[in-house]
Amino acid sequence: MAHEQLVLPLRVISLGDAMRLKRELEVLNDYAHQTELRQSGAEPKTLPKPSSALNDLAQENSLNLLKTEDREAAIAFLGNLVESAPQVHISFASEPSSIFMAKITSWFRDRIDPILLINVGLEPSIAAGFTLRTLNHYHDFSLRQQFSDQRELLLNGIRESQATEPL
Amino acid sequence: MTIWWLAVILVSIVSAGIAFIWLITKLSHLSESSKNPRQQLLDAANTDVEHIFNEEFREELRNRGRLHFEKIIGENAMFLQQDLRLTTSQLNEYMKQELGSKLREEFTKYEESITDAKQMAIDSIEKTKETIEEQRQMMSQQMSSEVKAEKQRLIGRFEQNMADIINHYVLEAIGKQIDLSDQLEYILSELEANKQSIAEDITHGA
Repeated sequence: MAHEQLVLPLRVISLGDAMRLKRELEVLNDYAHQTELRQSGAEPKTLPKPSSALNDLAQENSLNLLKTEDREAAIAFLGNLVESAPQVHISFASEPSSIFMAKITSWFRDRIDPILLINVGLEPSIAAGFTLRTLNHYHDFSLRQQFSDQRELLLNGIRESQATEPL
Repeated sequence: MTIWWLAVILVSIVSAGIAFIWLITKLSHLSESSKNPRQQLLDAANTDVEHIFNEEFREELRNRGRLHFEKIIGENAMFLQQDLRLTTSQLNEYMKQELGSKLREEFTKYEESITDAKQMAIDSIEKTKETIEEQRQMMSQQMSSEVKAEKQRLIGRFEQNMADIINHYVLEAIGKQIDLSDQLEYILSELEANKQSIAEDITHGA
């Protein structure tokens, strides 16, 4: 199975998640390889319990982790992902929940790129909204930016109130 | 024998002395009787004067002279006393006038000095008051301009950082009540609205 056809599960959001998943797969592959060597070339019957992300990866891509070629395909896919996957950095005012991030990740992968990795950051000063940083651009969709954009409107409001009621 | 001789010698000496005295006395009588008549008259007048101006008469004269002298002395003393009193009173009057005039002059000068000093003090106080008033007005204007400038500066800073201030206020006021789940729709709509731009950034960046 070519790695281009693999689907990245929604649990794998950031580059760190991808690297952890890749390491887990490599450990699993080493374990399977050692088991094969001990059992004279026979594939292992069981493997250590995989993580939820690895489990999702296997399920969503119909991979059999007991098979060497599936594991290596997954490792190659993840290696390529770590090396060259497009990334964005998104910041929120508070820590997002996993469900929330799943929805955000789903939108990005549906609309922008299916293997997009999202690094999540915290920026409490933005109060509400979010900021998005790509490789070349910085998008500010925060409440702070909204206030800055509407500065003239606020100034006019204050000046009108000053005119009617001087300080 | 010796004693008899000594007695004889003494008797002879005494006899010789008596005889010498008698001779002298006799000779003096003879000399007096031989003086001139004028001298005799003078002597007689002197003797009479001695008889007339005897000691009692002289004492009387001395007493009268003493009384007369005392009278003259008393009169002169009285005149002198009167003159002295008059002079004293004139001197007192003169002194009073002189001292009064001098004192009046001095008091006048003193009053003039006091008046001048008072006027100078009043002028000085007036000048000080004017200076203080000028300083007060200047400081008032300066304070007013500084307050105005500070006010403008604060307003400028407020206007400059107004977005941050309001954002901070909103964050402090309702920051904990803003839930990300409530913002999901807004976030997705913003992403959708800027999808093209984001996609281009990622595609070109990648």
